[in-house]
Amino acid sequence: MGRYITRRVLQGFLTLFLVMFLLHLLTTLAIQLNGNPAQAFFGDRTPSPSQLAAVETRYGLDDPCYDQLGNPCIGPFVERLGDYAQGDFGESLRGRPVTDIVSTAAPNTLRLFVVVTITWLAIGMTLGGIAARRRGKASDHGIRGLSILIDALPIFVLLLVYKYIFSVPLSRWAKDTFGSDSLPALLFKPSFSPQHAWATLIVPGILLGLAGSAAFIRLVRAAQLETYNADHVRTARSKGLSERHVSRHHVVRNSAIPVVTAVGIVFTEALAGAVITEGMMNIYGMGGVLWKAVQDSDVSVVIGVVTLLAAVTVVVMLVVDVVYAALDPRIRYE
Amino acid sequence: MSDPSVSALIAEETQSGVPSRSLWSEAFRTLRRRPDVILATIVAVFFLLVALFPFLFTSKDPQRCDIAESRLPPQWFGGEHPFGTNAYGCDVLAQLVHGTRPSLLLAFIVVGVSVLIGVTLGTVSGYYLGIVDAVVSRIVEVFLVIPLLLAALLLLSLFRNIDLGDGPVSTIAQPAIVLTMFAWMGYTRYVRASVLETKNLDYVTAARVLGASDLRIMVRHVLPNAIGTVTALVPTAIAAVIGTEAVLAFLGIGVRPPAVSWGIMIEEGSQWFTGGSEYLLLFPLGCLMATVLAFVVIGDNLRDALDPKLK
Amino acid sequence: MTTDPTRDGTPVPLLQVDDLAIEFATPDGVVRAVDGLSYSVSAGRTLAIVGESGSGKSVSSLAVMGLLQQPPARIVRGSIRFGGTELLSLGQKAHRAVCGENIAMVFQDALAALNPVHTVGWQLTEALRARHGMSRRDATARAVELLDLVKVPNAKQRVKEYPHQFSGGMRQRVMIAMALSMDPEVLIADEPTTALDVTVQAQIMRLLSEIQAERQMGLILITHDMGVVANVADDVTVMYAGRAVEQASVFDIYAAPAHPYTRALLGSIPRLDQKGGGLAVIPGRPPDPTQVPAGCAFHPRCAFAEDVCRADPPPPTVSLPFDRTSACHFAEEVMNHDEH
Repeated sequence: MGRYITRRVLQGFLTLFLVMFLLHLLTTLAIQLNGNPAQAFFGDRTPSPSQLAAVETRYGLDDPCYDQLGNPCIGPFVERLGDYAQGDFGESLRGRPVTDIVSTAAPNTLRLFVVVTITWLAIGMTLGGIAARRRGKASDHGIRGLSILIDALPIFVLLLVYKYIFSVPLSRWAKDTFGSDSLPALLFKPSFSPQHAWATLIVPGILLGLAGSAAFIRLVRAAQLETYNADHVRTARSKGLSERHVSRHHVVRNSAIPVVTAVGIVFTEALAGAVITEGMMNIYGMGGVLWKAVQDSDVSVVIGVVTLLAAVTVVVMLVVDVVYAALDPRIRYE
Repeated sequence: MSDPSVSALIAEETQSGVPSRSLWSEAFRTLRRRPDVILATIVAVFFLLVALFPFLFTSKDPQRCDIAESRLPPQWFGGEHPFGTNAYGCDVLAQLVHGTRPSLLLAFIVVGVSVLIGVTLGTVSGYYLGIVDAVVSRIVEVFLVIPLLLAALLLLSLFRNIDLGDGPVSTIAQPAIVLTMFAWMGYTRYVRASVLETKNLDYVTAARVLGASDLRIMVRHVLPNAIGTVTALVPTAIAAVIGTEAVLAFLGIGVRPPAVSWGIMIEEGSQWFTGGSEYLLLFPLGCLMATVLAFVVIGDNLRDALDPKLK
Repeated sequence: MTTDPTRDGTPVPLLQVDDLAIEFATPDGVVRAVDGLSYSVSAGRTLAIVGESGSGKSVSSLAVMGLLQQPPARIVRGSIRFGGTELLSLGQKAHRAVCGENIAMVFQDALAALNPVHTVGWQLTEALRARHGMSRRDATARAVELLDLVKVPNAKQRVKEYPHQFSGGMRQRVMIAMALSMDPEVLIADEPTTALDVTVQAQIMRLLSEIQAERQMGLILITHDMGVVANVADDVTVMYAGRAVEQASVFDIYAAPAHPYTRALLGSIPRLDQKGGGLAVIPGRPPDPTQVPAGCAFHPRCAFAEDVCRADPPPPTVSLPFDRTSACHFAEEVMNHDEH
């Protein structure tokens, strides 16, 4: 087990390095094709060459390789890696360090993900489990229809519908009925409020969790169905164990393996969903920062945040692999 | 396998590769009997027709707008502007009709090219294993770490100022390239797994012993087994790209004005929603939801029909 | 081999199955998988249930254990009694509880039948801990004892290992040890050696009959291999297309089979005492369960078949001397027929 984890951690570092290199190559190519992003600093004004040069130096864009199309710009890449190693992820156009922005924004994203994860587990495990147990019955078909419907409503559409069609009348009603600072009024508030971070995050979090739950429902159902009919479950039943015991120690335990492996994939999707959710609901989280930075053409913030999020993803996938190994001895002893 | 013509050949043959007929005809028989599939197919075909022949559905030019006729409410059929006009006085129906093409074209290009890449890489890495597999798997992992949307946000904002022109393909070229770059990995994984499963089966070994070339074995024996799984993923993937396009357009980095797309219309419409012109949001949103739902329903049923194990 | 072949003074049967009929609902219609099956097994005796796949032998033992999935399966009629208790009227939960304490089952494919994510020791004593509240420490000690009992070497170490770390034969020994963990009175072994090498098969069969003799359990051995039967069984039930076509003591059945199907089965075992003459092959195939032939189900493959066999199903039992039965219109002729 120890060796397995060591190997996966080393692989994770390699992946992360390659991801950064890929991002660097794409950025470089963009700068070479596109002209200087330092220009964005000045908006519509035309800077003098010395002003432009000063900004270029500040963002590390003064290397001549940025003017040569096809040059991979290894020098600046090594420099940037050094900066990352020292915890320097660049600055926004207004001169605020990206790490600073992220450290104030990350807690809100974490809160959002807490709500999202609870929603996934609650909806996925419950509905997926019911569908598996009642295979072929009305509730199975109903749950399947529901998951198709969820699939057909991308988080973007879900949020649009909620924000424009439900949120306004609901929050007006809640304000009139319970008062403007009451919990229901905050729940349905169409935008985030930092003073009431949890309350205003719950509905967007549930919606985002809902959007990802269709995959979970299907997965839990398929995994449990396969396990229900497995020979070893029949063996367990032949021991005269209660159905509850069999379900907990054999069905759920064994079907957890494929479900856990899928968490990694669903997580990256949820990360993308978080960008949309935070952007549209004005939540000041990492995704919201990214959304805003895209709108403001603040390239250095975009690169910094995407790199950080990629690092988080690598860590999550690593954790998933370790949990996977812990759940499945066949992997552990390979 | 460095020869690109070989990969191209594989890719070409996969398109025409015919897997076991019974599976397909069986699947088709199951699907034909389901009313939800029929309805979804009708919706999908309808929007495909709209995308292919927009002039059958409107005679108006979506770009010719009269600001004096701004935000006319829907007059329904018989009126000058059946679905009303937007804030600039453009005909909403004409915009909806002409906005169908970029969304669907983008989706088909992205999914088509990703499937080609995914099938090729998946087959090659599953078949040869060793160093090829190690490299492909590492690349897959690197691309998987960056979520599609994040990559799109980054790249499209980096390349924002590059103008490729106004043609139907060039307006979607940038999102198409970026989305394809980050959408092929799933197919690679599925195909690789399926190739691993198939390649040691007796009849494949027999073909190898008889001296069939690697290419022939891959195309004739190994791939047909993988195609079922991949096909079942396609409609759902199309739905996902349509949804993503809307997000990108909403952010102003997907298909860009003056070209119209549903995403752009949704973005514009959402600004007027509370101002009394709900229809400006509801029409494009409705079209988007109907199309996505149709493809998802088809995909879900196809998955069941081609992979009965999960039923 | 284990007991003398006398038929008098048979003790009260431990497990008694009477007129059992089971149907399955399939997309192609209702299939009768077991039809009017009766048998019984007493302490210290071994009953072999022999038949081809699809003959209903496994389905009937799953019914005994309360492990049939209902639906699609449905027990149409019949009774399954254990020590005087009617199991079928108990309800699934109580049925399984009774079986858990008294009847154990050894399944065919041990790799699939053992849970891959729990250690062998954990699975061996799962029932003891969950049902009898045995402590973890006692359970580990008991698990080692059980592995010793089935002669798994280095048991102390191996209880901590997982099923995939065992060889096929060792895994089947684990299955047997697990079945013995609750000291059952009846053991049902469903093709316990099919997945194994021939030499390992013999070892497992020897182990089973040793343990059975030692503990005086009733043993039901489900198999398609008449060769195995001769060495271990006391009584034999031959099944074909869901019916028991012949029931007799092993001695009688080998001496003179009273059903053409049994006869054909015996003809397909290689024998050392007869030279030359290839193995007999039963012509045709077992019937498609959705389309069982009219009349006697075996008639298309039967060398003795006459018009009556095509038209009328044989009586379920033709009583013959020595307590034996055969479901054949020509049972006596078959029994007395001598081709050698």
